[in-house]
Amino acid sequence: MRGPLLEVQELSRRFGGLMAVNRVSLAVQGGEIFGLIGPNGAGKTTLFNLISGLTPASGGRVLWRGAAITDLAPHRRNRLGLARTFQNLRLFEGLSVLENVLVVLQGRGHDRPWIGGLVNTTSHRRAERERLETAWQLLQELALDGLAERQAGTLAYGDRRRLEMARALATQPALLLLDEPAAGLNPAEKEQLCGLIQALRQRHQLTVMIIEHHVPLLMRLCDRIAVLDFGVRIALGTPEQVRRDPAVIEAYLGSGSRQP
Amino acid sequence: MIDNGLLVQMLLGALLGLSVYLPLAAGQLSLATPAFYAVGGTLAALLSTRWSALGATADGHLPVASLVLELVLGGLLAGALALLLGRLVLRLRGIYLAIATIALVEIVRVAILNLPFTGGAIGIFSIPQPFSDAGGYLLNAAVLLALAGWLCQRLEAMPLGRAMSAIREDELAAGCMGIDTTQVKLSAFVLSAVLAGSTGALAAHFLNTWNARQGSFDVSVTTLAFVILGGSRTWLGPVLGGLLLTALPELLRPVGDVRLVLFGLVILLGPLLAPQGLITPALLERLGQERAEAVEGNEP
Repeated sequence: MRGPLLEVQELSRRFGGLMAVNRVSLAVQGGEIFGLIGPNGAGKTTLFNLISGLTPASGGRVLWRGAAITDLAPHRRNRLGLARTFQNLRLFEGLSVLENVLVVLQGRGHDRPWIGGLVNTTSHRRAERERLETAWQLLQELALDGLAERQAGTLAYGDRRRLEMARALATQPALLLLDEPAAGLNPAEKEQLCGLIQALRQRHQLTVMIIEHHVPLLMRLCDRIAVLDFGVRIALGTPEQVRRDPAVIEAYLGSGSRQP
Repeated sequence: MIDNGLLVQMLLGALLGLSVYLPLAAGQLSLATPAFYAVGGTLAALLSTRWSALGATADGHLPVASLVLELVLGGLLAGALALLLGRLVLRLRGIYLAIATIALVEIVRVAILNLPFTGGAIGIFSIPQPFSDAGGYLLNAAVLLALAGWLCQRLEAMPLGRAMSAIREDELAAGCMGIDTTQVKLSAFVLSAVLAGSTGALAAHFLNTWNARQGSFDVSVTTLAFVILGGSRTWLGPVLGGLLLTALPELLRPVGDVRLVLFGLVILLGPLLAPQGLITPALLERLGQERAEAVEGNEP
């Protein structure tokens, strides 16, 4: 069996006197859906920022297919196959829905975009046509094709969440980091999202890492779950194992819950 | 009221407006345009007055080929300078980048003022003329502006231009989506410098004299006003802003001293009445639709 797709070794991040992430280790296997839960301020988003390269690590390593990527810039990590969405939604709001996806479909090695683009060569036009097709396919897949010409900033909340996923998928990731994708969705939308994530995993051969507060959703969706509390990984295992873990119960409900 | 001389100045203004627009299209508020303008102009002035191979022929005219070569060299020198400095200053964002680029403008201005071969406060004068009247300059400036406009228009259909707008919208998200933000910002900065450098080289000949004051902080403010009045979301905005604001002081000349007050009012009221600038993508879309409807209406 091959090694893990993503491995985090003793990863730490200090903000002043606060250890936001404290020597966290975990490994994500190719193909699995890996959940990350924990109370507010547990360091989940910071861990995502460390993995995607937005925040430099204070200590520890991030390994991608066995090679260290701890010092790589975010765009380099993305090109290796690591894409993410944002908890607070960071769309290119002034651009149209279609452009939001088109923007990230850069020439991935198959065309030198400069001169060809300026004089509009046939190979540039072909590349453009391919980019357009790919963008439309992704919009259709996420049921956004009807909104293609709309400005992203004017979309309804649920549509924005799906557009963020479409944009991340456009970078052809192997690992998709979803930061609270169900936040702000109503129960019916949450249900749809669950099916959508599973479908996307199938079609794009994705590995998914997901932060979510809605625990029942995670329990159903995830193969394995890690629990963070005050920056420390306090549990790791299958949903069933995690549910019964005394440390998790204590973190969520307080130590009083163990007394009769 | 508008003679060829003023038209040339208006086109030069439009070119400088585009030079400010390019980094801004990638979300970078750079005020360095006058520095690169000064570098291009100084190079052209030096080459054509000191280097006889490029200078005037016996009848006092500068060969047009020399002018074209100077435009290219002025652009290249400014671009090379931008390539060197860009990596440094583009680490800064927003207002800090603006301040750093103002410092750059000052450094270049003081350098040109004090270098032993740039003529000090008087500057370089009697720069040879390639054309006997403003008509030739008009054609030249129009070609340069057409090239710059074509470049900006093409950018919108290219990965580079799209990456620029992504960075303008959200630099952090753009990075996470695989866009090399440093590279894209640097490209926009260098393009802007090349444009300003070439414009400076043309302006030096047109103005006949060149000194350090040509690239002062005042020019930073004026050229920024071009973009703010015209609009920064499409390249037509800065072009219109540059044309209008360069022409206005001359057109208002008949009203006497009040003209500066009126000029100030336009700069003040423009952004108040049209915060996005005079030309916005929405306006262009509406115009496009009306034209399409008019065409349909004409069909039998």
